[in-house]
Amino acid sequence: MSPTSLGSILDRKTIITDLKADTKYDVIKELAKKFFEQNYIDSIDEFVEAVYEREGEGATGIGNGVAIPHGKSTTVKRSGVAIAILEHEIKWESLDDTGAKVVVLFDVGNDSEGAKKHLHTLSLFARKLGKSEVIDSLLNSKTVDDVIKAFDE
Amino acid sequence: MKIVGVSACTVGIAHTYLAQQKMEDAAKKLGDEIKIETQGTIGIENKLSANDIKEADIVILAIDVKISGEERFENKKKVKVSTETAIKSPNKLIAKLHEIAGKQILNGKARG
Repeated sequence: MSPTSLGSILDRKTIITDLKADTKYDVIKELAKKFFEQNYIDSIDEFVEAVYEREGEGATGIGNGVAIPHGKSTTVKRSGVAIAILEHEIKWESLDDTGAKVVVLFDVGNDSEGAKKHLHTLSLFARKLGKSEVIDSLLNSKTVDDVIKAFDE
Repeated sequence: MKIVGVSACTVGIAHTYLAQQKMEDAAKKLGDEIKIETQGTIGIENKLSANDIKEADIVILAIDVKISGEERFENKKKVKVSTETAIKSPNKLIAKLHEIAGKQILNGKARG
């Protein structure tokens, strides 16, 4: 596999642990706010709208309490990953009957040529989320360090 | 047995690669060889060669959108599902491929 550590690519400032939220909207909004604060996106509203557009196309809950919403929009300045570990599971459309306790939000710009390298990195994150060991570690993550470590397993 | 396939979802960012990982893990668990081409926003990765396809016992298409080069699989035994199915029940899916290909599951002991 690639020697690049995925954990080292993660932005500590876009990871939230022990997030107290009751709805999917709250979580997406909180993560979008992080993206905005760290200069990933120009507009929270536009980005949230793009995420909901994707939500409308089918479940982003991939089972086992993990959801991977994503938004592709011109408001995105640079692609990245924002992660929330929730204090308690919330309702989320998923492939099994679980909701979401771990939310991994990707943001992607519309200029896919310039973003190619980032997109490749995101694809590696998506692959990691297909591994049950990674999911288990994420579900049990209490700190930002735990989250970063989970992706390096 | 040898499995080749393509995975592609609507946005081409996440589900494509998740499905790839899930199918690879499930197949390897059973001692199968597997190669999944991804067609996502970044374009085609892990592209299947003519030889890969020729040698494959079965083709799995985990796709939600029209893919490029579907005609490559014209004369092969193939199964088409959504990426959701591949992510949700990868083990069942690979077992199904064995059934359709008429190949016994080796249980990871003997390869090839």
